[in-house]
Amino acid sequence: MPLILTGLPPLHWAAAGAGIAAVTLLLLVLANRRLGISSGFEDVCSLILRQAYFRRESLLSAREWRLPFVVGLVLGGALSAIAAGGWTPTWDLGMFDARIGFGPAGKLAWMFVGGLFIGFGTRLGGGCTSGHGIFGMSNLEWPSLVTTLSFMAGGFVTTQLVYRIVFA
Amino acid sequence: MLLYLLLGTSFGFILSRSGAADYDYIQGMFLLEEFQLYGIIATAVALTAPGLWLVKRAGRTWRGPVRIDPRPFNPGNVAGGLLFGVGWSIAGMCPGPIFVNVGEGKIYALAALAGALVGAGAFGTLYHRVQRIFGLPPLAAPPLAAPSLAVRTGKG
Repeated sequence: MPLILTGLPPLHWAAAGAGIAAVTLLLLVLANRRLGISSGFEDVCSLILRQAYFRRESLLSAREWRLPFVVGLVLGGALSAIAAGGWTPTWDLGMFDARIGFGPAGKLAWMFVGGLFIGFGTRLGGGCTSGHGIFGMSNLEWPSLVTTLSFMAGGFVTTQLVYRIVFA
Repeated sequence: MLLYLLLGTSFGFILSRSGAADYDYIQGMFLLEEFQLYGIIATAVALTAPGLWLVKRAGRTWRGPVRIDPRPFNPGNVAGGLLFGVGWSIAGMCPGPIFVNVGEGKIYALAALAGALVGAGAFGTLYHRVQRIFGLPPLAAPPLAAPSLAVRTGKG
């Protein structure tokens, strides 16, 4: 199946997994930091919000690596588009277009709702695919396994509901 | 800072080209029709785990003795995990890929990013209430303490 962005097949999963492991380990060996991306939402919030939750030492002290790291994620996506033939703003959304078919306004609303669940859920769960799924599980932390099983279950039920029942 | 920017850029490029930042591959994973994401996560964990073990055994990094803060269990792990999973399915992106998709030029990803920031902001603002419901740890830092980016406790 081709990628929505490039129309090309993806990297082999083993190569992609090895690359992710390399970055995770480099971050630890070079910077003594535990990978975790969803806390980046809090980093951004902490630039504006002043509640006690956003003034924690553990949060503020991690901004020095996590803010440039998430800026890098944006750059990496842009580089990937440029290298594939040019960066162009797009609304393309693959099977969402084929099966659900909402226009731009509907997509924005849909994505905003998804984002709310992601922002609130990752904070309540204490992490996401990177911090729990990759780092926590690699470190054999059982709460990370429980969290990973929980978000896989939440995603499984939702996608099954959306694509096998509501928009079947 | 340049190091973190470079690591993030590499990570973002890999996510972009792997399918992890692709709506169809995320749905394919949850529909049990695509092996790609399972292969990526399994490979990443299978290679990170022995690397982590070696780093911990050596006990040191380039920036002092290795320090990995464990993440203790609380009921929020299950409830938050479920909510995040719902969002991952709806948006077809987890947190890293939200940033990657914004960079790729996918306009709708900006709405996912806005939602995630509002969601995280709401969580922090309502923390005292959520804390009681889910038995989360109390906030350690005193409110409105002067931020100190230079001091990293427990390090060095």
